[in-house]
Amino acid sequence: MTQTSRVKNLTASVAHIDVPPPKLQWMGHSMQWGTRVTKGEHGLRLGDLNVGIYGEIPQHWEDQSRRPRGAADLPGMPPLPYHLRSKHQVWADSAADLYEEAIQHRWIPATDIPWNALSPLPDDVERAVCQVLTELMQAANAELECITYWQEQMSYGYHEVKQLLAVTALTCARHIDAFRKRCLANGGGLGLESRGRMNRAILESRGGWTEAVVYVYVLRGFYIQNQYRFLLAHAHNAAERVIFAHCLADHARHMTYALDHLKYAINQQDGQRAVIQTLLSIGERTMAREMEEPVQRSALAVVFGGGIEGGRQEGMATWHALVRSAIHEYLDACEWLGVKRNMIHRRLNALLPSDEQLKPPARD
Amino acid sequence: MRVSDAPHLDLDTSWMERMGEWGTAAQPGKRGLTLEDIRIGPYGELPEESDNMSGRPRGAAERPEAYRIGGYTVRSKKEIWLDNATFLYEEALQRQWSSATDIPWETIAPLADDIEEAECALCTFFNEVEFVAGDVPARWVANISPDFFEARNVLLAQVQDEARHMDVFRKRALANGGGLTRVTGATSGFIGGIDLSRDFTEMSSRMHVSGEGAVLTMFRMGELVGQNPAEKRMYRLCAQDEARHVAFGIMHLRYLHATAPERHEEIEAYLDEAENLPLAGGTNPAGPQAETSEALAILLGGGKQHYDEGFRILLAIRKRQLKEYMQRVVSAGFGERFENGRSPVPGRIAELS
Repeated sequence: MTQTSRVKNLTASVAHIDVPPPKLQWMGHSMQWGTRVTKGEHGLRLGDLNVGIYGEIPQHWEDQSRRPRGAADLPGMPPLPYHLRSKHQVWADSAADLYEEAIQHRWIPATDIPWNALSPLPDDVERAVCQVLTELMQAANAELECITYWQEQMSYGYHEVKQLLAVTALTCARHIDAFRKRCLANGGGLGLESRGRMNRAILESRGGWTEAVVYVYVLRGFYIQNQYRFLLAHAHNAAERVIFAHCLADHARHMTYALDHLKYAINQQDGQRAVIQTLLSIGERTMAREMEEPVQRSALAVVFGGGIEGGRQEGMATWHALVRSAIHEYLDACEWLGVKRNMIHRRLNALLPSDEQLKPPARD
Repeated sequence: MRVSDAPHLDLDTSWMERMGEWGTAAQPGKRGLTLEDIRIGPYGELPEESDNMSGRPRGAAERPEAYRIGGYTVRSKKEIWLDNATFLYEEALQRQWSSATDIPWETIAPLADDIEEAECALCTFFNEVEFVAGDVPARWVANISPDFFEARNVLLAQVQDEARHMDVFRKRALANGGGLTRVTGATSGFIGGIDLSRDFTEMSSRMHVSGEGAVLTMFRMGELVGQNPAEKRMYRLCAQDEARHVAFGIMHLRYLHATAPERHEEIEAYLDEAENLPLAGGTNPAGPQAETSEALAILLGGGKQHYDEGFRILLAIRKRQLKEYMQRVVSAGFGERFENGRSPVPGRIAELS
């Protein structure tokens, strides 16, 4: 059917209805007519749109309606509960680019993982893999619950951040999806649930999004990142390698936003540095206790050691290396942020392994 | 480091005796390894009422000392479930697209000012609408027990879809010599609106079934509204996403209809409101009270000079919206309202015939 005949068909039954004259009151309100953004070599990206008034990102966005940034407002709109209306509460310069990157790097656990590459593992190793992934599922769950709790409170003056977080939350769901599939596809099952210390700290950090970011990404993020990295290095098959490589890349993106945002918040908001310092002092103890937690620690050691026996020596040495890497990256990030950690919590400090603990066992 | 500070970190393997059901080996099918494929054994059993307050994955072994950290208010299966959640989630992942690279932006060419302004007004409005459809499901995600994670995943995919829709409409508004126009305010906190729903099904019936249903009809008419291949593709891809969101609402209502007869009258009341607010009010872009109706008439007619012709096409679209809404409600099991005189929708369709 041609367009013309389709239109005729459509309008035949309403031909008798009088058409009211248009009021056209919506016309002529554009605040910047004549905008013409063109696509570049990577397409038409969100950041490309920040031209003229559309690129003016205000320090405060008092509008509590759903007015897109750069649109003309309509006075008299009832407010919606957008509590985060200051740029320093959410912003990161990289948000728009990270959003586009996240979209381009999307993956699908159902079809992008070579599931047929899975093969039976020794029972202790399979149990350890499943246990590690069960806890990582809960960590991803806490991350997405935290994000979605804050997401709707963020004003549309900073839509780039909201969009990035929308993708981030789905990415977390995708990780849970992939981990669950891995647990249930190779003769194993799910493990024992997490004790939930850091998950609780993350979900209870309701003083502000910035504070939540400190808990999700600075305090725990490096531990998660290093787990992905070490699990990738110790993957048993191509399926696990693809899963952990994707998770590592995704998580790096989440960490980039987090650090970028915290840097911005510290530079723009008086007192923010001290607040973050206090949060870290409180949170380090919780994080240390999470790392000490025997279940995840031992399960990781069994994976790294190739079984229970190997886990006792080589596996624990690898776990110590993982922890050292995570704590050092944490301290490096704190230094980059300008948040001094001269005296990290003694429990966290105690987890920094000695050279002896990092040595793999001598072989006969 | 003092020696006394060093924790005693031996290998502990006692958890190996405390894991979930063992020996599960789901196999990938022709669509890969889907969430449906891993709904096997106890891992596929959903509780009617979830007591999971620690956020554990469904089927993981419980740990008595775990913190009860989940503030989940949606813990009853009938409050949230739909039978095709796994399908909708997997489809959502398969059909993700990029507004940066999947729209042929180079096909956009200058339009007459009235048409460009009408398109920009519509894009500004769709930004507002997509904001609602992103914010509201996000609000519910953390309230839903992870025992029903399949349904939650669909909502998370929706939040991402809406972010992309907002993104693509903003891109269109700024890509062809126009710009954003004035907001309509049609999505800001009205009584009975989507925002104010205090119950998940109430929200879903308003947002998915009536609100997004009305928008879906519009997106499907993108072939008529769109002025170039870029716009037509934009509407087509958005329609594909929106259809999933609407399907969520219909399938959830259907499940609730089958499992919670005690809530039928309550649902009917939500539909009463929806038929008088989201469907007939300013939140429906083709609705009689919406400023966007005029913009649509200009786009459909091909300019202000053909406004009457465009408006008549719009009336036909409005009629189609109502018919499609009726089909959805019938499919969900609440079709009797169209026969017993409760719903004003058949009357509105008659007025347009």
